[in-house]
Amino acid sequence: MSLLSVKNLSTRFTTEHGAVDAVRDVSFEIQPGETFCLVGESGSGKSVTGLSLMRLLSQSTASHPAGQALLNSPRLQSGAVDLLRQDETAIARIRGARISMIFQEPMTALNPVMTIAEQIMEPLMMHLSMDETAARARALELLEQVHMPDPATRLKEYPHRLSGGQRQRVMIAIAMACEPDLMIADEPTTALDVTIQAQILELMAELQARRNTAMLFITHDLSVVAQIADHIAVMQQGRIVESGSRDQVLYRPQHAYTRQLLAALPSRLKRRTAAHHVDSGDTVVNIENLKVYFPVRRGVLQRHVDDVKAVDDVSLAIRRGRVLALVGESGSGKTTLGRALLRLVPSTAGRVSFRDQNLLSLSARAMQPFRSALQIIFQDPQSSLNPRLSIATTLTEPMAVHGIGANQSERLQKAGDLLLRVGLEPEMLRRFPHEFSGGQRQRIGIARALALGPEFIVCDEVTSALDVSVQARILALLDELRSEMNLTYLFITHNIDVVRYFADEVAVMYQGRIVEHGPVVQVCDHPNHPYTRKLLAAVPRFD
Amino acid sequence: MSEVAATPSNHQSETFSARVLRQTIASNGARFGLAWIGLVTLCAVFAPLLANSHPLLMRVGGNWSSPLLEHLTWIDTTLLAAFFVGLGLWMQRRRLSGSRALLLMMVLVTIAGSISYATVSPPVAVVLDQYRTGLADGSIEEAIFVPIAYSPTDRSRDNPLSLTAPDRLHLMGTDEDGADVFSRMIHACRIALGIGLVATGIALAIGILYGGIMGFFTGWIEILMMRFLEIFESIPQLFLLLTVVAFFGRNIYLIMAVIGLTSWPGYARYLRAEFLKLRRQDFVQAAQASGLPIFSILFRHMLPNGVAPLLVAASFGIASAILAEAVLSFLGLGVVDEPSWGGMLNQAVGPGGTFAVWLATYPGLAIFLTVFAYNLIGEALRDAIDPHLQRPVS
Repeated sequence: MSLLSVKNLSTRFTTEHGAVDAVRDVSFEIQPGETFCLVGESGSGKSVTGLSLMRLLSQSTASHPAGQALLNSPRLQSGAVDLLRQDETAIARIRGARISMIFQEPMTALNPVMTIAEQIMEPLMMHLSMDETAARARALELLEQVHMPDPATRLKEYPHRLSGGQRQRVMIAIAMACEPDLMIADEPTTALDVTIQAQILELMAELQARRNTAMLFITHDLSVVAQIADHIAVMQQGRIVESGSRDQVLYRPQHAYTRQLLAALPSRLKRRTAAHHVDSGDTVVNIENLKVYFPVRRGVLQRHVDDVKAVDDVSLAIRRGRVLALVGESGSGKTTLGRALLRLVPSTAGRVSFRDQNLLSLSARAMQPFRSALQIIFQDPQSSLNPRLSIATTLTEPMAVHGIGANQSERLQKAGDLLLRVGLEPEMLRRFPHEFSGGQRQRIGIARALALGPEFIVCDEVTSALDVSVQARILALLDELRSEMNLTYLFITHNIDVVRYFADEVAVMYQGRIVEHGPVVQVCDHPNHPYTRKLLAAVPRFD
Repeated sequence: MSEVAATPSNHQSETFSARVLRQTIASNGARFGLAWIGLVTLCAVFAPLLANSHPLLMRVGGNWSSPLLEHLTWIDTTLLAAFFVGLGLWMQRRRLSGSRALLLMMVLVTIAGSISYATVSPPVAVVLDQYRTGLADGSIEEAIFVPIAYSPTDRSRDNPLSLTAPDRLHLMGTDEDGADVFSRMIHACRIALGIGLVATGIALAIGILYGGIMGFFTGWIEILMMRFLEIFESIPQLFLLLTVVAFFGRNIYLIMAVIGLTSWPGYARYLRAEFLKLRRQDFVQAAQASGLPIFSILFRHMLPNGVAPLLVAASFGIASAILAEAVLSFLGLGVVDEPSWGGMLNQAVGPGGTFAVWLATYPGLAIFLTVFAYNLIGEALRDAIDPHLQRPVS
């Protein structure tokens, strides 16, 4: 008998503007001890499914017009219970004890004003009625099981002292505390670096095997799925379009949508032909010994005691018409380097040469003409457009400042052409950012960077917040634009698969320094530096 | 994020300001607040047409004339002009963008104000008793009065009598000078509204400029500006007001300016905090990367995104400015000629220890309701802006 059997689950949100069915007629079964992956793009209803099972959705807006979710836990005296039809007290006894949950964002999932010990002990004392000493001993044991370094000291600390990976370990410890039958993990590794992701996945598999815990793993990342899943269900627009065993779904997909998702994976995409582009040998931007230090000040007199070396003595030549990928984990200084080039972050020392000028020594006024030649596209399409300005204003204001176009109507014409070029409609100029989807906003961000006719664009994690299918289309667009307008990209990313597909050269950054730099094929296939090797090994493989 | 989504359904195509406005108006508290402020505004604008001793029309020797219109001051005409310009622009709001409408309004009102100032000159010496004696002895053959036939400064010791309790002739009674309380209540709306708007306007203007600069620049500029702000905050407003009134006399504009000049640090702090947050946003970085001028980055890209908490603070600020004026007037240091609610409260207790209930009740209630109304609006605004109170929409 299966542990959890979900039949015809639907979840409806009642909003001011009518009802929205986020989940429709979803059925699946999870066996004890197996890993069941729910895959889908954003808005597909996969997270809502998980939250519905935990009954964590707001009762005032969410309802379940149909369906049942039978939990058949061997440790429940009452036999199988329908999670959707339990009252608040009954579900509270199940939550945390029989089913537990791990969230995506480890930075916000822990309570910042409670110590680690208190947060692990709370469910133990609640559900298992342990006394304080027993709970504390158990908490220590749990931290050891999730391989937390120095667990005894960590117990007394507050969450802000821990790194993202360590916090996720604490979250897992809390989720495992009462030895649940089912663990729902909602994108638990998405916010983590690949090397940390590999460690966390390994840890979850280990704990799962030890206790025979079943796992509902919600993710958008098919490479992760390929590594851990027993069964897979693919969701699209609130429905499950395909489900089956891992090998069936990933290697013999039946549904068109599943095939489309698999085809959009960067590791499956054919490497850009233009990657073998002629190398003119001409350097556009030359970085010499660039240092960006953030001073650490202490005491009443704000004494300068130390520096955080975000970028530490980096030299890099970016050649015309090429795509140079800058790869590194969070905190490696890659974003700071990209912004320091454009003088969005003040640099401490070094030279950035562009058209025989050192950009770093120019006054703000002298920098002005170079602003149009050097542009940037950002990661988060949510925050990269001013929510209060129409698209027309966002695009034409910089043009006016740089004297592009004789009058406003000419600039509007040009802005409309740009939107057309990036795959949008000129009529959209009158709209505001909130009327667009993430992918569309990213296209507008690209149009804004192109508006001033740049030579060099810093692409800062431009596809990280996007779904794979959208990512594939945005990358294709960037590639077309590059050859059409003879652009040069500094492509900052953490995704090795995207680098393989898209870049000509790659520079690997680690703790503010460039540890390896060379052609993509050479670095990816024959890495020299130990860090590069570790990074490449941690990338989930799927072929 | 799927690229095909973005169905332009109702709530998605709504701008932030439109949503905030809709949600603010949806709350009952704000509706009451806005209704009361609207009533006070109407009273303030149409005060001379609601309560006036001058007849609207009178016939002397067979000729009709309108002493009321002849005695309008330039302030009366400017307020009326501003009201109708505002109403006209509101009707045309679909064709005009918000900022353009505001600019047009300011220009038109300034023009109307200067024309009124130059052309409108009511007679200086006014004897309000002339109409009553004229009607009594028949030299005025016929006269049509506005609903309340008493000017706020129509002081006559015998008709009307001083300190009469409310009756059919004087709905809210008379004060110790014999002036009609209802009339004074209506005319006092001007000070109540004006003090709140002008003082808060001054404070907002300084606060936005100061806070914006503080929030965008770091280092020594910010540290110095912050210390100066702290010095300013340590000045007690009421004592400064008392001192200024003692030295420079009871001038309503001076009082407005002092309240404005002492209450900006709060707004500057709010805006600084907002700007510190916004400065790291990608769209601000993008504006910098495009080489936009600093003025545009600060006031076009950052300010509209950070102004919301300021508006909440401002609606509470208006309320406290009204209270400050009421306190001054209550202490007998307010304006002399113009009626003000606080000043009327002060008159409730006479020199001999007599207590006129009607003189305490009506102005007290008006002050309470106005302050309450602004607080309700501020609260509704805050709820509409606060993202934590938003209902999750999947």
